Formats: sequence, structure tokens, C-alpha cells
Amino acid sequence: MARPNRNLRNFCIIAHIDHGKSTVADRIMELTGQVSKRDMEEQLLDSMDIERERGITIKLAPVRMYYTALDGQEYELNLIDTPGHVDFTYEVSRSLAACEGALLIVDATQGVEAQTLANAYLALDNDLEIVPVINKIDLQSARIDETKAEIEDVIGLDASEAPCVSAKEGTNIRDILEAVVKLIPPPDGDTDAPLRALIFDSYYDNYKGVILFVKLKDGSVMVGDRIKACLSDKLYDVTEVGAFAPYLQPKERLLAGEVGYIAASIKSIEDVAVGDTVISADKPDTPPLPGYKKIRPVVFCGIYPLDGSKFLDLKEAILKLKLNDASLTFEPDNSVALGFGFRCGFLGLLHMEIIQERIEREFNLDIITTAPSVSYLVHKTDGSELYVDNPSHLPPVSEIEWMEEPIVRAEVYSPPDYLGSVMDLCQDKRGTFKDMTYLDTRRVKLEYLLPLNEIVYDFFDELKSRTKGYASFDYELAGYQRSRLVRLDILLNGEICDALSIIVHEERAYARGRTLCENLKDAIPRQLFEIPVQAAIGGKIIARETVKAVRKDVLAKCYGGDITRKKKLLEKQKEGKKRMRQIGTVEVPSEVFMQILKTNKDK
Amino acid sequence: MSGIYLHIPFCRHKCTYCDFTSFPDKLGLAEAYMACLCKELELRGRELERETFDTVYFGGGTPSVIDPDYIYAAMKQIVKHFHLTKNPEVTIEMNPGTVSEKKIATYKRAGINRFSVGLQTAIDSQLEELGRIHNVRDYLYCTSLLKGENFSADVMLGLKGQTKEDVRKTVEVAAWSGARHISMYALTPEDGTPIYTDYLNGELPDADEVRALYDYGYALLREKGYSRYEVSNFCKKGYESRHNLNYWRRGEYIGVGVSASSFFYGRRFTNTFDLDEYMKCILSGFLPVVENERVEEKDAKFEFVMLALRTAEGISAERYHAAFGSDWREDFAAARKKNAAYLTENGDRTCIKDEYLYVQNHILMDFMEN
Repeated sequence: MARPNRNLRNFCIIAHIDHGKSTVADRIMELTGQVSKRDMEEQLLDSMDIERERGITIKLAPVRMYYTALDGQEYELNLIDTPGHVDFTYEVSRSLAACEGALLIVDATQGVEAQTLANAYLALDNDLEIVPVINKIDLQSARIDETKAEIEDVIGLDASEAPCVSAKEGTNIRDILEAVVKLIPPPDGDTDAPLRALIFDSYYDNYKGVILFVKLKDGSVMVGDRIKACLSDKLYDVTEVGAFAPYLQPKERLLAGEVGYIAASIKSIEDVAVGDTVISADKPDTPPLPGYKKIRPVVFCGIYPLDGSKFLDLKEAILKLKLNDASLTFEPDNSVALGFGFRCGFLGLLHMEIIQERIEREFNLDIITTAPSVSYLVHKTDGSELYVDNPSHLPPVSEIEWMEEPIVRAEVYSPPDYLGSVMDLCQDKRGTFKDMTYLDTRRVKLEYLLPLNEIVYDFFDELKSRTKGYASFDYELAGYQRSRLVRLDILLNGEICDALSIIVHEERAYARGRTLCENLKDAIPRQLFEIPVQAAIGGKIIARETVKAVRKDVLAKCYGGDITRKKKLLEKQKEGKKRMRQIGTVEVPSEVFMQILKTNKDK
Repeated sequence: MSGIYLHIPFCRHKCTYCDFTSFPDKLGLAEAYMACLCKELELRGRELERETFDTVYFGGGTPSVIDPDYIYAAMKQIVKHFHLTKNPEVTIEMNPGTVSEKKIATYKRAGINRFSVGLQTAIDSQLEELGRIHNVRDYLYCTSLLKGENFSADVMLGLKGQTKEDVRKTVEVAAWSGARHISMYALTPEDGTPIYTDYLNGELPDADEVRALYDYGYALLREKGYSRYEVSNFCKKGYESRHNLNYWRRGEYIGVGVSASSFFYGRRFTNTFDLDEYMKCILSGFLPVVENERVEEKDAKFEFVMLALRTAEGISAERYHAAFGSDWREDFAAARKKNAAYLTENGDRTCIKDEYLYVQNHILMDFMEN
């Protein structure tokens, strides 16, 4: 048996969102000379446009570096950047499985936050060595000692030796690397054993096919090897292996303990699932590594092309995104109002927004998205059960015995000043109080059980506005709960618009119906005829507003000098109309479907 | 048949709603400007020597603010350099605060046979608010000088605080004064004008209120024997403005003077809006055109429909065919079908039903391609 390279370190960086994870990664790369300062783009690892603009990391991105430590030895470091947002916990857990240690970045001005904790526990579950790092010490409001104490009290990690750094100014970055070398163990495994490599990510390259991101547990792999994906039983010939530098850098072979990529002219990403194990085709009986549990989407919405004829373009866009995002689910859907589209499932609201934005931006498609929904469990009178995430697929009331809705365990962290408002909000949102803990004099942790459908509605916006942005919030699914739910339909000019139907709690239905009608009245431009906007439950109208007919759009004069201007004005209006969708006889702006729920509070 | 438009960019005081090219403080330049205008007429006349013109229109600004002899000279220049029909319609816009018996006599001598008088409203406080330099008495004096002449009165709707009663008074004054033609149009608050602030602050009547005033005014005008021949133009039988009808029939016209627009030989072009630049160009022998574009056939067809639908006569299939060699019913088949409920067809003619005339932008949208 041969041990992997003793001077190899695989680690990742975990942190609460905005605690400086990507900046720390950039500084480490800079210090190891991985990227020359001149070529350095801010936050190199966040390579998607959206990631950079929003300042978040979505996809995990690995990079290999060499570092000569103070002990005089050269070490090979593989760093895997991870997303910080709760929606992407799945991505985090995948990268953790490829590492032996994790840097836990904590903002010295913010202290331990919801996601710090969640990620730290994830890392502990994966048996990783956790190295706390205190960041942002350059800021006036940095509380270094208190932050250390918090790490010890709340997470139970020794933080006395934790490197204290300012990634922004590049202070003490070397301390981090020394800690990595000293504290994080090298990978174990056996380079002589048959190949076993964990696929922790993948993406589709137009020339090379699917690129597998792998961590080799045992054995080695090189060009020409015949490999097998355990789950699908498919065989491939390796065409290229290499490291992340951070761009793909081919090398001769990958050895046990190493992190790198494999290309093998793989055409379909479905055949090489993330979490699967790659083994040698010569040793088909090699037992696979433990994978990840399959992730279930929790938030759903319909996505339709604005221009109905672009359905195939939309399909292609979603398929391509799926190649890089295993957590996205979709199935074809058909709406009376919006035509052909897809019902997509997401890990959370942010994930949903990101996907929508990527479709519009990267594929240049205008889309209509419906209000987010969750997956309800319907118990039918005939004893059967089914999950429904699309309100228009809900069976008739007469066939429903009872329904259950998904519940989350939510943790809200807030300064004590806003405790009252936060509790009011949770109460409003049908929450059940579970626990309250004072973390220190400035922060309280509240635990509630909340229906997920209230969270996808406007919980987060409300929380931020009621606490002036001070509260943060995290949640995890906590099963299903019986609930009195009804479908609320919206009728435009007397016709049900299926794309606007929502499932709501019975007690909320009247208020929500009223709000919806009011919002729609404001959002739908006046047309040549009067448009009744009605909300209905099972055929009974519960709210009504009217979009008045337009009375005047032209009384100005139009003489010789006005003709061109008038034409341009009409062209501009026409442009605006392109963002509209014809629902029966009514023209509806495309944003309405998504935003109508967000724009106003229930009155 | 084609028209000639002359722009006189001078006035005594800028009205609060005005976004035309007009300079209240540059009357001293009138002589030089009118000399340039005559020069431009000469240049254009040479280009268009094969064309025949049926109407002439002096617009502004306030054409009546300058010495009437300049108008006389300009008319002489037109007669010299353009072919006019036997009985051309020659109109001049007038501000009631700037007229005299002598002026009108000079205009008539110059061949002007139609006058467009800016009444706007018969409520003095509203005239003051608009920055008009005249009051109702000035208007009555002005029109008394025009007794027996063919003149039109301009009336505005959508003024701050304007009531139906105000509209009634205004229409009555205009009718009583003997106007054979009345333009009744809605105030359009343009960005950059003082009145735009009122608009932003919600001080002007909204679209629905303006529509109500309009319906009321229209009913009164009908009672008094004026019929509507275009969205905002009304007249006694036979007194349509030939010059303006030409615009709506997508006829050709040449505009001279600063900021004037032209449409000739399939191109739309516009002179500079800058007075200095205009005069410098002319003095150097250049045409001061700043915008010039050829109208593509599909745009031309849309223009035809857009303009024709403003009028009571509507789209003439025959005239359309003469212009484009195709049937408009085929060219716009989908839009025509979709909007059938809003249109009236009568043999050759198709027009928008009375009650939808004011919402025609919505209808026109369907006639635009893409």
C-alpha cells in the first residue's frame, strides 16, 4: 500500500454570506503566486457574471496552488470555494466531501451567523478539520476577542490560535496558509488500490463533453484509461485529466488524494451524476464510495417563453443549465394562459432567481415566471396520495380528503430590539414558536416552525423591513403538516387565468384575494374595454376590482412636424407591448405573474 | 397637391405649454431671419420647380408678431419661385394680442385668405396662467377685424382647473365670433415646459377628465353646426383646412425656416432647431437640414393608416392603392380583423368609430408591424 503525497492539502472555505470568503480565496491565490497580481480580477473564483454582480458564489470552484511553508517544504494545496447562501447547502456538502479540512471565515464585525453555524456543523459531520479564521480586522468595528469567544461558545472550536486577517488589505494571509499546512491532515487512501474517485461537480464543455470534478480516494487515473460510472454502469475512455489552475490544466495522471478533473467525451450529464463514483473498467467490482443523498427541490415555479414560439429555445436553455446544476429539476408544463413551458423545481428562492436571471442573460430569452409555489401533499378521498406543486393541477375539492403543506424549522437571528416585530411577523405567518436563546447581549436566536408557503411569499422581505435589515434567517425542511388549504383563482374579464392561481391557507384567502385584485388592477394597463379582475375560491367570487377602459390616448394635434415623433412614440409603446402576454382578451405585462405576490402587503 | 409651411420663430412671450421653436427675446433678428427664409424659398423653389402647390401656411411662434411687410415679401417670393394653383389656401397664425387693422390689410394684400387665431380659452385667468399675452377682449377685437373672413379659432382642453362651464364659454365665444373652423385639442404637457411641473404635481386634469371635457365640447360644437373632420378639428361645411388635410392624407409638403419639417419624394427631413446655425447655413448657401430619412415602404404604409385614421374620411382604399399599388385590407389583414369592432367600413372608406377616435393609439398598435 502506498500513501498519497504527504505534502498535499485539500481544503475548502466556508462562511456566512458576505463574510469575505471569495476575497480570502483571492488573497491566498495571490500569495501562492497562482495568479499574478496583474492578471487578478477581483474575486477570481466567482466567474459567472451573476456571481460577481451579486457578490455571491453559486458554483463551487476548485483551484490548485503550490506553497513553500516556513518549514521549508513545498506543499500542494487544493482549494475549493463554496457558496455561502442557504439555498446552496447542497453544493457545500459536495465540496466538503472532497476535502480533509475547512477554513471557517468569520467576520470580526458580525461574529458567528446562521450560515457560519450551519456550515461548521456540515463540516464536522464530514469529519473535516476546521480552522477558524477571523476576517475584516481592518474595520473599526472589528471585535476580535469577542468573535473568538463566540466561536468557542457557540460552535465549540478552539479559536485561540485562529489567524486574524484582513483579506481586503492582505494582512496576515500567510498565517492562514501556515495553519492549513499544520492543522489540516493530508488525505489518506491508497495509490496502489483500484481507482475510486468521487464526482463532486461537473459541467458541460462544448468541445470536451462533460468535465467531471473528482477527488481520488484510491488509485490513479490517466489518459487512455477505461473508466466506469458506478450508478449508470456506463464506460468511457479518458481523454484528458488535470488540475485546476484555476483554469483546466492537463497533467499526466491524477493520484489518490488529489483533486482534479477528468474528461472522457461524455455526452450526457445524466449518466455521470454528481455523488457517483468513478472506477476502473478493469475492476468493475470495486465498491463505490458513499455518495450524497439526492436533493429534493422545495420551491417551484412555471417558466414560459414570453414569445410562445421560443419554447424550443427555452428547452435548450434549461437543458444546458441543468448540465451545470444538478439540483435544478424541470418537467414540461402547459398552461391555458401561457402556453407551453416548464415547471421547474429549485433549492430555494435565491436559486430560483438565479436560474431565471441566467436564462434571460446567458440565453437572451425573455421569460414569464409564475409565482413561486411549494409542493403540497394531497390525500384524496379514494385513499390515494399525490404531491402537487402546480396550483392548476390540484384535484377538484370534492376529491380532496385533506392536504398537508411543507413546514420548515426556521432560525431567526435578531438584535433584541426587534424581538417583538420578529415574533409578530412569525405569528402573522402562521408560525409556531419553539425556542428562544440569547446568544449574547446583542443577538437573540428565535426558533419557529413556519409553513414554507409563507416563506416563499414575502417572509424574507418583511423580516428585513421590520428589523431594518438586522435580522438574518435560515431554515431547513421539517416535514409536512396537515393544513386547511384552498386554491385561489384569478379571473380576468370573466376567464380563469390558470397561471395566476395560488394555493393558500383558508384563513389567508380573503386577504390574499383582495391584495391580488388590487395589485392586478394597478399592474394591468387600461385597455379599450373594462376588465373585471376577480378572485375566486371554487367558483365563489371573493374579491373584485375593475380596470377601467382607456378613455383617451390621443387628442393632441398631429401636423407636419409631428408625424415622425408620433410614429416613434407609437413604436416605443409597441416595444412596451412586447412585454405583454395576451390572456384571453386581456393584455397582461409579463412581470405580473411573478411579482404580483410580492408588491404589496395583505390589507 | 402639396403644401408650403413657413416657420416664424418669434413671439412676444413664451406660453407655459409651448415647446415649439420660438424666441421671445430675438425679435431684432426678424429682418435678417426673414431674408434667410426668402433665400431658402428660392433654394427650395429651384429643387421643386416641377411641383404644384395648393396651400401655404405661416406658423410659429407668432407670425403676426413681426412686421407684416416681411410676410408680404415672403409671399412674393413664394409666388416667384413656386407654382401655385389657381386658388391656393394661404393661412397665417395670429395671436389676438398682436393684430391691427393695417396688419390684416397687408396680409390680405399678400394673398392670405385664411386666419388661425389663438383663443385657447375664454377665461382670462386661465389665459394669464398659460402666459398668453392677450385676453378675451383682444380676441373679440381681433375677430371683429376679421369679420366675413375665413378664420379658425384654437381652443385648448385640459387646463388647470378647467370646468365644463369654462369649455362652454370658450366654445360659445369662438362660435359667436364667427369662426368657421375650430381646433379643439388637448394640452400636451411636454418635458421642459413650465406647465410640465404642474403636470408632474398632478395639477392638470387627468386623461379621463380631459375626455369628459372633450365629449362635452364636441356636443356643443355639433349643436352649433360644426362637424368633426379630424380628431381635434371641427368646421362648418366646406371649411376644412386644406393644408392640414394634406398632412393627414400623407401628401407632400416643404417646410422652410428654423425647425421646419418637410416630406418630399419619400423622405422626411427637418431643418436645424438652432436659429444662428440656420441663418449661417442659409447665408453660406447650404440647406440647414439636420435630419433626413427615407421612409421605408412598410413605414410609409403605416403612416398612411396612422394619419388617415385621425380623420372622419378615414382610409380611402382607392387612395391607398394609388400610393402603394396594393390593397390596404390585405396589407393589414390581421390588424383590421382584430379591430373590426372599432372600425366602420363604408365602401371605399374605413374610419374609426366615433367613440374610439380618442383611443386610436391602442388600435394603431396592432397596425404596426412586429
